[in-house]
Parts: sequence; C-alpha cells; structure tokens
Amino acid sequence: MFDFITETALFKEYEVYIMTTIYVLVIMIPLFVAVAYTTWLERKVIGAMQVRIGPRNVGFRGLLQPWADMFKLIFKEIILPSGANKVLFVIAPVITLASAVAAWAVIPFDAEKVLSKVNAGLLYVLAVTSVGVYGVIIAGWASNSKYALLGAMRSAAQIVAYEIAMGFALVGVLMAAGSMNLGEIVLAQKGTNGLLDWYWLPLLPLFLVYFISGVAETNRAPFDVAEGESEIVAGFHVEYSGMTFAVFFLAEYANMILISALASIMFLGGWLSPFEGVHNFLWLGIDMHALTAWVPGMAWFFAKIFIFIFLYLWFRATFPRYRYDQIMRLGWKVFIPITIVWILVVGFMVLGEVSPWWGATA
Amino acid sequence: MLSNYLPVLIFLIVGGGIGAVMIIAGFVLAPHKPDSEKTSPYECGFEAFEDSRMKFDVRYYLVAILFILFDLEIAFLFPWAVVLDKIGYFGFWAMVIFLGILVVGFIYEWKKGALEWE
Amino acid sequence: MTGVQFLFYAFAAMMVFCALMVITVRNPVRSALFLVLTFVSCSAIWLLMEAEFLAITLVLVYVGAVMVLFLFVVMMLDININRLKEGFVKYLPVGIGVAGLFGGMLTWLLYNVEAADLKTKMRTMYPPSAKPADYSNTEELGEVLYTVYVYPFEIAAVILLVAIVAAIALTFRRRTTTKYQNPDQQVSVKRDDRLRVVKMDSEEKK
Repeated sequence: MFDFITETALFKEYEVYIMTTIYVLVIMIPLFVAVAYTTWLERKVIGAMQVRIGPRNVGFRGLLQPWADMFKLIFKEIILPSGANKVLFVIAPVITLASAVAAWAVIPFDAEKVLSKVNAGLLYVLAVTSVGVYGVIIAGWASNSKYALLGAMRSAAQIVAYEIAMGFALVGVLMAAGSMNLGEIVLAQKGTNGLLDWYWLPLLPLFLVYFISGVAETNRAPFDVAEGESEIVAGFHVEYSGMTFAVFFLAEYANMILISALASIMFLGGWLSPFEGVHNFLWLGIDMHALTAWVPGMAWFFAKIFIFIFLYLWFRATFPRYRYDQIMRLGWKVFIPITIVWILVVGFMVLGEVSPWWGATA
Repeated sequence: MLSNYLPVLIFLIVGGGIGAVMIIAGFVLAPHKPDSEKTSPYECGFEAFEDSRMKFDVRYYLVAILFILFDLEIAFLFPWAVVLDKIGYFGFWAMVIFLGILVVGFIYEWKKGALEWE
Repeated sequence: MTGVQFLFYAFAAMMVFCALMVITVRNPVRSALFLVLTFVSCSAIWLLMEAEFLAITLVLVYVGAVMVLFLFVVMMLDININRLKEGFVKYLPVGIGVAGLFGGMLTWLLYNVEAADLKTKMRTMYPPSAKPADYSNTEELGEVLYTVYVYPFEIAAVILLVAIVAAIALTFRRRTTTKYQNPDQQVSVKRDDRLRVVKMDSEEKK
C-alpha cells in the first residue's frame, strides 16, 4: 500500500531510523491514550468508592471527558511567574515526560514484541527513572515560589529514599532470574505451575516493597506530601498552568503505568498466562493450559497492568496521607532492612537450588 | 549491542519532542495576557514576603549523601546478582562481607538517629 | 560518516560545550545542571565504546544521585553571586598559575616521556570491536569483580562505611527545639503511667 514511499531511495537509506520511529510512535501513542483513560478510570473508580457517579456528561458515560480536559488545557494560558527562570521553567515538564516514557523502550509486550532487547534492561529502567527527579527539582526551583521549592525538596528527598528500597528489590529479582534483560526475566518465571511459578511468591516481601516504593516514587496517595493539595497546594507544580501542567500530569500517569508494567513483568510473569503448563487444574482434570491457549500474551500483560493501576486508585480512595516523617521512616527503617534480609535469603535459595522455583527446571 | 540502543535514543528524542510540541501548542493556541497580579508567585493571596529561594535544612543534605552511598551499593549489587550462579558460594560470601560492612554503617546511622525526620 | 561516528562527534561536542558552560555560567544552579548534561553526554560516549554497564551506572550514580546532592547544596547555600565575584580578580593569578602548571605538565608528558611510544599509542587507538547483541558487559564485569578483584571490592565497602560515618559526623546535628511524638510510646501507654489512685481517708468538712 505504501510502496510509493518504501520504494524511494531516501526511505531505503534511512529505513532503520524511520521504522524505529514508527515503532516508537506505535508504543507511545497508545500509552498516551491509556494515560487519558486512566484519568477517566480514576474519577469513575474513586467516584464509585465514595458513592458518587464521576464524569458522565461528555460522551457515553463520560468517555470523552479526558479529551475535553485535554482541549480545555490546550486553550488555557500558560502563566510564566515573575521572577521565574523562564527557560528552566518550561524545560522541566519536558524532562519529566521524556524520562517517564523513555523506559518504555525496553518493556517486552510479548515474547517477540519488544522494541529494544537491551541486555542491561533493568539497570537502564532504574537509571532513567532516577533522572525523573530532575524535572521535579528544576520545576520547584525555577518557579520562584515557596510552595514549589518546598514541594520539590520534599519530593526529591522522598524519591531518593524510596529509590534505594526499589533498587534492592530489583536486585532480588535479578538474582532469581540471572539476567537484567526484561524478556529473560519473564521467561525465567515460566514453569509448569502457572501463576505459582511467578516471582511474587518466592519474592513476596520484595514484591510488596517494590510496589509500595513505586507508589511513593510516583508521588501518589498516600505518599503525596510533595503535591498534597490540602497541604502545600500541589507542591512543585503549583505555578504551572495550561499545557505545562498537562505535561506534568501526563508524565505522572505514564510513570504510574510504567511502575505497573514493571511490577507485572518482574513479579507476575509479564505476558505469561496464569495457567501456563497447568494441564490438571486443581486436580480436576481440566486442561486450563489448552483452554486458555487462544488468549494472546499481550492480553494477560495488559490485564496485569490493569490490576496494579486499579490498586493505585484503590489506595488513593482508601488511605489517609502519610506524614512526612512516617514516609521517611517507612523507606529507610522498614523497607531497606527487609530487602537486605530477603536478598540474602534469595541468595541461599538460588545457590541451594530450592525447588520448585530454582534448580528443578535447570 | 549498539543497535539495541538506537530505539532508546529515538524514544528519548520523540518523548522530549512530544512534550515540547505540546507546550509550544499551548503557547500558540492559548491567550497570553499577563498582569502583575497573575504572574506573582502564589503565597495564599499575600504579597510574597521575600525571595523564595531560602536556606534549607541540612537534613536534606544528609539524606542525599546517604542516598549516594546506598546507590553505589546497588550499583555493586547489580552485576553480582546477574552472575551469582556462576561465581558460586565464594562470590556469595564476598558480597555477604561487603553488605555486612555496610550494614554496620547502616546500624550506626540508625542508632545515631540520622534516619529520624523530626 | 557512519551513524556511530556522527553520534560520537555530536555527543563529544555537546560534552565539551556543557563542560565549558559549567565553568562560565554565573548561576550555580545552572552550572550544576550543565554538569548533569556533561555526565549524560559522557555516558552516551561510553555507551558508544560498548561499556554498557559503566555508561548506565554513570547515569544512575552521578546523574541520579551525586548531582541531586550538588543541587541540594547549591540551592541550600543561597549563594550570593555578587559577593563571589568580588574575589575573582584576587584569585585570578593563582588560577592562571595552576592552569599553566597543569597545561605545562600535560604538554611535557605528551612530548618528552617515551614520546614515540605514547604518540603511536594515541594514533592507533581504534574504536572497540562491535559486540553481538547478546553480549553482556555486566556479566563479564561481575565474573571477575567478586572473584579476582574481591580484595579491592571489600576495600570499597570499607571506604563507603567511612563515608557514611563521616557524613553523619559532619552534618548531623540533633535538634533540640522540635517537639516529636513517638506513636510507639503513645500506643503502648499503660493505665498506671497516667493514672494514680491515691488512698486517703475521707475528710470532714470543718
């Protein structure tokens, strides 16, 4: 169909670059649509939990609400505060967004559907997400507002505290899988017991630490002291309006989906079916493996991401906000000791080849 | 190996590009009528008292230093975790000693009260 | 020019430019941010040299951690730029002297010490051979770091320990003015801690 383009000499010379850019857009545009509908879902779910209805007027059941919000934000004035450092003020949201989406380059959606099989995938993800803190710091500093600076400092200290717990949790996964490549981490969880082979079970403490740290890293409730509207009026992005605010918002939700995707890959077997190799379900003789074989891997992957997104929203509707000293205590005094102890336990399990997770299949 | 990183580079460029395009669209499409009240930094409706770039508690500095040290520790743990099954118990105990020394530091920090955020 | 060469020159130019900006820009926060960009471009160059683990660790440790500390410091110090500029002329001769000495030493090293040997080495510096897609830089590093180089590795732990102790000794001051609740103690309070029943005879009203 596109022969008239693909046959040109110019296309052939730059084929790799053009095709990669297209693949990048194929990942990124659905991601942004997913972000839009996460905001819709958030309002609906939290509305239901608080016995409200949520958005319902724009489109069928409010399904067009995210687009209405987007168009509204495009036509809102971008206010550059007096005394702000204008260049940095505008660049900060772009940095946040770039670091929030960049990690998606190495996410495997299915056994073969992965854009870049980077060997140091997990390390790359950790490094790229750690750059995101700059958006927050720069935004807070460039705004020349007390609330913004206070929010930025809080947020930065909180993000760095939880990044350590997160890093330790990732080390546990690495030890179990023996590879930093995200695709291989998923394949290492493949076994004959379906979802019992996934790492959430042998690495349960790390799984909990990882996801809770993920919630704290994305500055979401109940860890949202950096942008708590009732405390420091939106924190580091208090001075942002219009599209500059929208980009921050987009980045925050993209980060939420990223944390969910990573948790699914590392602890819930990514694209693997929960009935992988289960030929005798609950000893009833039902061959669940064959029955669910038609479901594409990507569907399982998205379902797992959805579970975590729902947890995010559920947390927000349920828990009161943590106090700042409690957040720091949880990060440093609870999570780090737990992860260090469990790393040693996993070390013994891997070297001692504890069945059924390690040794049995090797 | 480098071919793996081409998509990463393009991803970064496209991600930053989309962010930039969105903000430029905002600047182009939205009205722009600044006045002195509108552009003054938000301080609960009061006039700003002073320059907002104020001195900060040294505690943030301590948190940042401790973060660097633990981050380095993670950087050491990553290659170890990948090759654990190849280096066997010798490598395992090497890391146990490494972690043990740092846990001493961690306990010192804890007992000193440096992790307290009052 | 191949794509890799183009990227190398692009990142090298960016690195030199940012490094220059670090020392010429007046605002210390901007200077620190340019240092971040310098590290990022350096990391890209290391990646082009197939040092995958080091490149990403550079971003993780230096960009993600060390520079955050730098930013905290320059934001916290509340530096008065005008005051800093006053001393500039006074220190200029010393600065030029140190720079001259350093430059002279480098030139001397390049042209006099085993001149022929060094020059040929520098000219014949080839780019590293391209590695296959499944080559893992990290694994190769890990296999030697914890076995062959285990002694330096443990020394690194001791250095980190010293750094932890030093950081606390230098910066940690216990505050005496803050009022702090300990929920642990609050919850575990017993009746006897708060309430004292005193036995006494009833008194007659006089």
